[in-house]
Amino acid sequence: MKTKKLDRFQGILLLIIIIYSVFVAIKNPAFIHIETIFDITRVASTTLMVAIGLLVVMISGGIDVSFMAVALFGSYTTINIMIETGIDNLAFAFVSAALIGGLLGVINALLISWLKLPPFIITLGTQNLFHGIMTTFISDKSFGAGVLPESLHAFGQASVFKIKDVGLTASVLPVLLAGLATWFILYRTMIGRGIFAIGNDEESARRAGFNPFRIRLFVYVYSGILAGIMGMMYVAQTNALYPNKLVGDELIVVAAVVIGGTKITGGQGKIFGAVLGVIIIYLLNTTLIMIGLSSSWNNLFVGTILVISVAVTSYQEKVKNRNNLIFTE
Amino acid sequence: MGTVLEARHIYKSFVGVQALKDINIKIESGKIHCLAGENGCGKSTFVKNISGVYTPDSGEVVLNGSLYHSLTPSQAMREGIQVIYQDLSLFQHLTVAENIAIGRLKSDKKRIVNWKKVHAIAKEQLDKIGVHMDINQPVGEISMANRQITAICRALAQDARILFMDEPTTALTRTEVDRLMNIMLDLKKKGLAIVFISHKLDEVFSVADTITIFRNGEKIGDFESKELDKKSLSYHMTGREVEYPRYRRSVKDNTPVLEIENLSRKKQYDSLSLRVCPGDIVGVTGLLGSGRTELALSLFGLNPADSGRIKIDGKEAAISSPMAAKKLGIALLPEDRFHQGLFMDREVKENISSAIVDDISARGLLDKEREKKIAEDYTRQMKVRTPSVETAVGTLSGGNQQKVVIGKWTAARPRVFIMDTPTVGIDIGSKAEIYEQIHELAADGMSIIFISDEIQEIIANCNRVMVLADGRCVRMLEEDDLEENAEQTITELIGRHAEETAKGEAL
Amino acid sequence: MNKVNKIIRRDLNLSILTGVTMLVLLWSAVFFGDAMYSLKNIQSMTFQIPEFGFLALAMMLSNMIGGIDLSIIANANTVAITSAYILNGQWAFGMTGSARIVAAVAAAVIVSLLFGLLNGVLISRTSAPPLIATLGTMTLFQGIGMAVTGGASVGDIDKGFAQMGKATLMQIPLIFWLFLLTAVILGTVLSKSKFGRKLYLYGDNPTASRFSAIDNDKMCICTFLLTGVLAGMAGLIVLSRVNSAKVGYGDSYLLQTLIVCVVGGIDPNGGKGRVWGVLIAVVLMQILSSAFTIMSLSPYTKKLIWGIMLVLVLGLNYALRKYTNRMELRKSLKEGC
Repeated sequence: MKTKKLDRFQGILLLIIIIYSVFVAIKNPAFIHIETIFDITRVASTTLMVAIGLLVVMISGGIDVSFMAVALFGSYTTINIMIETGIDNLAFAFVSAALIGGLLGVINALLISWLKLPPFIITLGTQNLFHGIMTTFISDKSFGAGVLPESLHAFGQASVFKIKDVGLTASVLPVLLAGLATWFILYRTMIGRGIFAIGNDEESARRAGFNPFRIRLFVYVYSGILAGIMGMMYVAQTNALYPNKLVGDELIVVAAVVIGGTKITGGQGKIFGAVLGVIIIYLLNTTLIMIGLSSSWNNLFVGTILVISVAVTSYQEKVKNRNNLIFTE
Repeated sequence: MGTVLEARHIYKSFVGVQALKDINIKIESGKIHCLAGENGCGKSTFVKNISGVYTPDSGEVVLNGSLYHSLTPSQAMREGIQVIYQDLSLFQHLTVAENIAIGRLKSDKKRIVNWKKVHAIAKEQLDKIGVHMDINQPVGEISMANRQITAICRALAQDARILFMDEPTTALTRTEVDRLMNIMLDLKKKGLAIVFISHKLDEVFSVADTITIFRNGEKIGDFESKELDKKSLSYHMTGREVEYPRYRRSVKDNTPVLEIENLSRKKQYDSLSLRVCPGDIVGVTGLLGSGRTELALSLFGLNPADSGRIKIDGKEAAISSPMAAKKLGIALLPEDRFHQGLFMDREVKENISSAIVDDISARGLLDKEREKKIAEDYTRQMKVRTPSVETAVGTLSGGNQQKVVIGKWTAARPRVFIMDTPTVGIDIGSKAEIYEQIHELAADGMSIIFISDEIQEIIANCNRVMVLADGRCVRMLEEDDLEENAEQTITELIGRHAEETAKGEAL
Repeated sequence: MNKVNKIIRRDLNLSILTGVTMLVLLWSAVFFGDAMYSLKNIQSMTFQIPEFGFLALAMMLSNMIGGIDLSIIANANTVAITSAYILNGQWAFGMTGSARIVAAVAAAVIVSLLFGLLNGVLISRTSAPPLIATLGTMTLFQGIGMAVTGGASVGDIDKGFAQMGKATLMQIPLIFWLFLLTAVILGTVLSKSKFGRKLYLYGDNPTASRFSAIDNDKMCICTFLLTGVLAGMAGLIVLSRVNSAKVGYGDSYLLQTLIVCVVGGIDPNGGKGRVWGVLIAVVLMQILSSAFTIMSLSPYTKKLIWGIMLVLVLGLNYALRKYTNRMELRKSLKEGC
């Protein structure tokens, strides 16, 4: 852990990003504008937030497709409370959304631990459950600009610093904070090592003295908290909230994390990888127009990269296993 | 040297089955204590009762002077009990250093990881046993022997006073076993109590001070190592004199069915040659990693050889897949019955027909009556004890399960049947029945390749034996060679060769 | 009585499912009466079942080999788009009338087979986990559809083809007969043929099936070819019903097909389940769906109910599994001692 060497897979990703960026820059010099880069950062920041949460879940050997519903649930409920009570406070907004997110994470963790079924199916169920509960029992109104608390709007507009009148969105701050916190948890705390341990082998982790249930609880709660915060960031950025947003966009985040080299089998994964994955997706998203393709081509490229990345990493693993006479399919 | 652990009157039962009956054992520091017994005799259950995995129904344990009626895993660890399970319980993607230190950090109730400390712990433990290795490598990328050492270091890092090791040598080569034995002797000198569970008799004799024998959940007795010899030990373990019936080839036909010429695969085995005739039971013996399983998989199309030739009936054959192997009349009983040999959730009859689905189908449809009849025929022939052929195979005993695997491939009427350690984890009664079946199949003209590391078993059941060491054939023993002192010869062959390679490596 | 008991025991899940379906049928008859069982409503239900049913069968096959195929809906939509372009003349290459219809169906079969082949080859050759592999191909298939259409709906298709989707035989839509026929054939193949047997074995334990000289790669590819074609059929049916095709149609079907499989007794870990279970579950799902429509529930409420249903069924299955395991253990102990 001392030697911070870039692994080969991440090196290749970085290379692809650089080559592609150079290509775009040659085709369309507008790309090198600070505005473009800041814009990519702004739209990618929310996704990055949930991608980090998902990464932690995947390292523990699980998967989560409910986080967008959790994000919406958290922000939507909080906004409702704020409008009803007239509280207009940024800290309250984030803390409340994070708390609600964490609470929903508890439900995910409990169901996954009890039912012992593929977490994909369970979180797909809870995704609909959460979204359904929110829209049925809380509200399904839409909030446009002007109705939303002013403090949020201000946060959405705020920038960390400005270069030539173009500001870097303040949304990078929570993401940066989450990234650092996650790095610290994963590599500097025992619970983080426990997350890696249960992702490697749950039974061995139990024998080493870890409590898989508690670790899983932590993982899904943590992912829920990040999702709640992300929901608030999203509201602040778009300055509007509809009950049908976010939900349905979770698979592209899964794709980003997988492109970043995280394996669904657990026990492995790097924050930097997830960051690279998200960057690749948003880079394509914003630059296809610059090289003369419409954004409709987006999925074709993302899909191709994902398929190739999955094929290459899985095939390497298979060859390694076969040479050790392990015949897993 | 005092008693560190005393177990008194331990009883344990699982849903009606008495697994342990009145077990009394004393374990002393500075000694190597061996628990011996057949599979399922209760030795592993005993260890789990002491380490806190199970709670005994009654009885008590005295550890370093304090009395316990039941133990939790963390209490056991605090008293210095460390268990290295057969699967080692390591984390593949984590580094050696972290694997060594993680248990210690956990038991110290650390919340924050100090990597300097992690490396220091790992280095300290490795130094303690005098081994050098790269502690920054992921465990998934190091050899089995180094993994074993990592697991020992992890136990030592947690101040082990009593170290239980469950079958630590099965995956090691001879030199590695010797190194491990030396480490064990060294630790013993340092005052550790080591409890060693093994079924390999020569290892038991080479290191153990005391041997406790288990049979059917009962303790047969404690013996000093010098009181016993192999014969009396196996008598105590099984409760009967085991005389394997010798196999004598009766088939007259001497045209080879299978010929292997200079078959090689990089890093696995090197220029192996073999001729197998009808009625031959050719033994292949050697340690794990000697190339025995690797060769078997190559002949079954799962581990293609790099060079050399395989001939069936004198014609060169390319065996690129199990399907091709089956078409050529080659069958394989795999090493891992649980994952590779059987479909545990499915019925006996579906298992028996699993390799001949195509053969019992007409125009794409399965002939279920024929399937049932075949299943009934072969369960009868193999003496499988099952309520019916519709029973799920996973509910049968290990011996009966293995008979189902033999039946499954016999139903495919192979000409060459490769059996990779067919009697592992099987009770003595089923073993005898399986040997009998194998002899009958061979007498009917089938060629059999019998892989095993139990030398006695090999000598009794084979008319020719290929001895492998480090991927090379060190000797081919013919029928006459097997008459006298064969056991000693084979043991020496494997051992001597291993020593030579060890010397070679040292230079 | 003993025999009935035995049959119920042997497939507890299927028996419970049948019982629940009966109850729901009865309940909806009491509550909605004619609104539910009028000829018109039955007809409209049988119009709606096939597209969803085909997707459910596709999902079932992928579940049976231990994977979740996320790409089926993307496959269906892109196939529908391809056919729509042929049927509205854009890719007709001078063909007209029934020639176009034949070409459109042929193209649908070919494209869906290609998609299935890609999935099968990718998963069998590289041993990629199906969930992640099909996430990739899902994005890719969607991407192809998006790249071709730019996200717009492709309509104005041949009238003759649109008629086929609405044609009936004995008051029941042709497409429903087609679905029923497909389900019966698939059910027979799975339970009676050697392919079916190998599929169960492969799904139960792929390592053991490799060691039993079963061609795993072939099984995997064949299964995904079938999955692909079934999804493609769903695409054609959507096209004939809606008269247009676009990327993103029927996204909620992913959850519903999974529910139907779980309710129908398919084990998502592979090797277990039967077509009949899924068939009953599809009918049950449709009746509930119709009931919700009659009750004019909002799509959000429906989502809530589907979510609850999935979690509930998973919980029930879990309890059931625990119960039967304990019974079996007790039984085997009795026999053993």
